[in-house]
Amino acid sequence: MTVEKNHIQFSSLFSPSEVICQTQEKDRDKVLLDLLKRLAYQRGIGNVDEAYQAVLARENDMPTIVAPGMAMPHARLDAIKDLVVGVATSREGIVYDPRQPDNRVKLMVLTLAPKAAPGAYLQAISSLARICQDPATPDIVASLPTPEQVWSFFDKGGMVLPDHLRAADVMDPVQVQLQEHDTLERAIDLFVRHRLNELPVVDKDGDLIGVVSTYELLRVCLPDYILWMDDLTPILNFEPFAEILRKESKTWLTEIMTTDYATVEADEPAVQVAKEITRQRTNRAYVVRGKKLLGVASLETFLSKILRE
Amino acid sequence: MPSAEGRKGFLRHAGRPLITLAVSGLVGFLTHALGLDRQQVISVTIFLVIIMSTLLFWQFRLAIAFVGIGALMGANVLTLPTFIEECQLDVILFLVGMMVTVGVLKELGLFTWIIQSVIALKGMTGTRFVAIIVFLGAFMACIVDEVTSIVFVATLIFQVCDTLKIRPMPFLIIAVMGTNVGSAGTMLGNPVGILIGQNAAPPLSFLDFLRWSFPIMILGLTATLGILMWWFRADIRLLSERLQARRELGLGLGPLIQVPYKRSLAILVGMIALIGSHHFLEKTLNLAPNTVLIVAPLVIAGLLMIWRHKRSRHYIEADVEWWTLLFFMMLFAVAGTLEHTRVTARIADSFQAAFGGRSFLLIPLILVLSAVGSAFVDNIVFVAAFMPVVNKLEQTSLVWTLLLGTCFGGNITMIGSTANIVALGMLEKRYRASIRFLDWLKVGLVVGLVTGLIAWAGVAILAPYMPTVEQRLQKVGMHSPPPTTPKGEGIEIYRH
Repeated sequence: MTVEKNHIQFSSLFSPSEVICQTQEKDRDKVLLDLLKRLAYQRGIGNVDEAYQAVLARENDMPTIVAPGMAMPHARLDAIKDLVVGVATSREGIVYDPRQPDNRVKLMVLTLAPKAAPGAYLQAISSLARICQDPATPDIVASLPTPEQVWSFFDKGGMVLPDHLRAADVMDPVQVQLQEHDTLERAIDLFVRHRLNELPVVDKDGDLIGVVSTYELLRVCLPDYILWMDDLTPILNFEPFAEILRKESKTWLTEIMTTDYATVEADEPAVQVAKEITRQRTNRAYVVRGKKLLGVASLETFLSKILRE
Repeated sequence: MPSAEGRKGFLRHAGRPLITLAVSGLVGFLTHALGLDRQQVISVTIFLVIIMSTLLFWQFRLAIAFVGIGALMGANVLTLPTFIEECQLDVILFLVGMMVTVGVLKELGLFTWIIQSVIALKGMTGTRFVAIIVFLGAFMACIVDEVTSIVFVATLIFQVCDTLKIRPMPFLIIAVMGTNVGSAGTMLGNPVGILIGQNAAPPLSFLDFLRWSFPIMILGLTATLGILMWWFRADIRLLSERLQARRELGLGLGPLIQVPYKRSLAILVGMIALIGSHHFLEKTLNLAPNTVLIVAPLVIAGLLMIWRHKRSRHYIEADVEWWTLLFFMMLFAVAGTLEHTRVTARIADSFQAAFGGRSFLLIPLILVLSAVGSAFVDNIVFVAAFMPVVNKLEQTSLVWTLLLGTCFGGNITMIGSTANIVALGMLEKRYRASIRFLDWLKVGLVVGLVTGLIAWAGVAILAPYMPTVEQRLQKVGMHSPPPTTPKGEGIEIYRH
């Protein structure tokens, strides 16, 4: 599926007059306020103070450092109808997150999206994915002396807003996964250690072959025919679980692995994630390219990205 | 010009109601042309609408039955007293008692114990597993009815197939077919059994079923097992291989716990003993036929509800299938209207005129009619409508033919019996998988044909040894002719 249809250049979302170039300011909040004032003057974004509070609230909640040296603060505003972008650069860098004083931000891309435009911010961030991956980008942009050159950097980069969000845009990387040759013992260890309730299982090529969940594990210990009983006396001491403990080291994952899970191709529209999650009555969909597991799109992440970011 | 999509939508929404109306109208017209009076035409037409609703509007069948009763009353074909008389409250109360008792037995761990006993068996193979699910399904149906049986056997199948990572579909079909055949074994096996037993003239006892139907069921079951083992041999072989591999790793088929099953087993044995001896008790206590049979499950359910009084409301609200029972009541009343308006008498007269008393023709005819009928229509509908016809033909062998035909015929299609529908519903819910109509039909036709032939041969061989209607009447101490029409007269005679 092709992603780019409307061919909106990222550079068309702002102009050189909406760039603060090589600011001397070291305070993150002041840079944000300066940028918002400039956008208010140039584009009209309604009440600056409201916008400022909205941006700060989000940044204080979770700083949006998307790559080393680069941040993408954002907010949704009632007063605007289209995406509004402002850019600020700093040669020395700004302490953006007090918890990461060494990770100084040299490039800030402020995105203001209309309130009722789910995913607009993600579309903007998605268009910048390629430059985010290059660790030299913040230094290169911060070294440009004029706003025109900064704008030109984005213009010549050929960054285009995707027509729609892809599943890959709303996924998180897989932090923990199981291999097909793992045993039940390792699965239980990982469930407990990482406080997860579902783990993907991949083969030696990284292809997704199944999913193991704590629910399935529980169902193995307490199958239907035990749950029928009203009197729990025979299992008060977790007798069925003892059986699992005895055999966990020689029980292969395939014993409790299910192949009934939600998957979405990475390039499919992100809304497909919601559809699969709903259809399979689960809370996560696995994002794949072919069979290769790329990430996990959980319901929480999906809702957060679409309705809040 | 409507679009193709629009035409499809119209057909989807209006097609089935139009088919129902067209068929019912056509039948109404034909029955009128055949000389049936107004009341007969109305009762036949509404009966047909309800039959078609079970085929075409499964979700709406109860609603349509309610409206159908209203229409019959509005047309003055059915009166309120006749409705009360015809809706077979005795059968309904018997089923309520059984459902409550089964609900309690389930909570007490009886079925957990049965499933664990199978899972814990040493030296299990695919062939043994199939033999177990066929006979377990059949015998459990004989004791606690086919739907309850298939729910428990399907759970066993899902447990084994999930553990061994094999597809459950073939084993579910095997279990369902075993259960359907087994349901003909006793009066408790199927709502059809209790309906036939209670409405035969004179009523049949639990022992009558054991004597005349059970042996034929066992033959049919053995043949069914043989056919299914051959038909699904590849799946059975795979199950054997997986079982062997698992055994080599020292792994079982599921967790096993100590189940305090003895109380529940004692309750079940007690109930079966009471039901099994109902005929003796009724004679000893000078009660009307089948009084103990009908009341025993109710009394046991009542005692269990006193014992477990905190759960008693749950048993009544959750374990009793009120939807199904209400549908049965409406259906019985509509079918009773056919008898009340003498439609069934006319059909019986036609049979009599065409075949006389020649049972060698009537047995295969009724067998084929009931088997094919129940393959496509809920078998209880067919029996409710056809029982008065069989009663009027006054041949004991035809009662057993009707029972065997409807139970065995349920295997022909995937909608042939309630057990099929319940099992496939469980499969769909658990695996989001379904089976194609034709896939079932292929194996169903073979099993239906072979078991049908066995039923025909069995009834034909046993028929000379069966008591005649007159002998059965004498046995229950009556000398009156069997009930003809209007329905209920015969039954009244016994009850006085």
